[in-house]
Amino acid sequence: MNHNSFNPKARWDRFEPQAQGFNPDGLAERIEVLAYFKNSRIYPKTFFWNDREYNIEAITYNWQERLGQALINYFSVISSGQPYQISFNNSTFRWQVDKIIQ
Amino acid sequence: MILHIDMDAFFASIEQAVNPRLKGKPLIIGSRAGKMRTVVCAASYEAKALGIHSGMQSRYAFNICPNLEFVAADQAKYIWTSEQIFRLLEGFGFALNYASVDEFQMDIRDYPEPFKLAREIQEQIYANFNITASVGIAKNCPLAKLASKINKPKGVAIINDANLKEVLSLAPLTKACGMAGKTGQTLMAQGLKTCWDIYLNLPGFFGADENPGKFEEPSEDEISRRPKSISHSYTLPNALGNPIVIGAWIRVLSEMVGERLRRKNLTARTVHLWLNMPDKGDFLAQKTFAMPTNDSYEIYRKSLKLMAGMPKKCHKIRALGVTVSYLECQDYLPLLIEERRREALIRAVDGINARFGDSSIFPAQVILTRK
Repeated sequence: MNHNSFNPKARWDRFEPQAQGFNPDGLAERIEVLAYFKNSRIYPKTFFWNDREYNIEAITYNWQERLGQALINYFSVISSGQPYQISFNNSTFRWQVDKIIQ
Repeated sequence: MILHIDMDAFFASIEQAVNPRLKGKPLIIGSRAGKMRTVVCAASYEAKALGIHSGMQSRYAFNICPNLEFVAADQAKYIWTSEQIFRLLEGFGFALNYASVDEFQMDIRDYPEPFKLAREIQEQIYANFNITASVGIAKNCPLAKLASKINKPKGVAIINDANLKEVLSLAPLTKACGMAGKTGQTLMAQGLKTCWDIYLNLPGFFGADENPGKFEEPSEDEISRRPKSISHSYTLPNALGNPIVIGAWIRVLSEMVGERLRRKNLTARTVHLWLNMPDKGDFLAQKTFAMPTNDSYEIYRKSLKLMAGMPKKCHKIRALGVTVSYLECQDYLPLLIEERRREALIRAVDGINARFGDSSIFPAQVILTRK
């Protein structure tokens, strides 16, 4: 790859301060997820959060980010019409809900 | 022949794909600092139709459209998508170049059906990422880039010898690469109105038939591959007057610059500091030091020395940047035991951050920037 002209790894927001107090954009709460793996991809189907079951009707987008040696798989999913962002850390095998997408 | 693939409202389109509620709505992407205190980083086509554009202050955008949707930028999402599009395009088997995070140039040589290829690229991008791209086809990069802007969004346009004059005459001068700002204004003041005027008056601008060096493999010569400078800058959510907190921000930027230097096994002799004061404008200072360094703390200390040269009165700072240049390969071994211990410490910290993620471990002073 010829990346000489542009380096997409250059990040400017690593040290962005986090908002304080309740923040629907920064939940980071552990969840349990039923998912299937197909063609080297992950498809979450249902997640359980605060003793409630959320059926995933659609995965609208997914992307990855490397944090150190961990690879984080992010999914924006829709449950009952409400979009959520959930993520899977392949190093710790932890699923979490990152935010309620407004 | 060059194909210039330009994603349509890239960041905004990704956010509309993530959240279908935003589709068809005027939307801007800005900093996480707050929707009223940022600049428009990207705007959806619905927002652009209202006159909202990148670089505009967000509060002006909300004056134009009070119902404007706002999403805080998520760089990881955009960078990943950009990399995946690059990989998808690599699959077509032509030489490929990153022009920017949302622009790619493909050298298709004398491929017989460029229009069909462009359509196929658009379809594959849409199928995989649910976002659209425009494609420009021409004999060189500046013309291909101009062509990609002609039929936006989802357009394909070809500029060839047959339609060159017609297309350039219809394209305003500001559509040409690098002409949207002051250069364009200067040329317009001199009576140049369209891209055809540029073509006639600045023959080198669009005239090259070849793309010298653009798609060549990177040189193996280490010196020519070495970056000339490394820089990080940051615009604060609010103007700050507290010198301790400003110092902490300089530390953050020095850490980021130092980490990149060490990753490339480089050292720097020259340190530049840039501070933007809302009431006084820019303060710029630089100094070349005898001893090269890639120690973030040293870069920070040298930046503070430069900051001491500011006018006496303490002004509020809105944006700041740290740059290092005069880069050299790190080819000396520290002799003093204190230097060796310092280097071992830095290596350990870098190792922890490489394993557990950036800023897993950081100087305590950085905490001041997170309040």
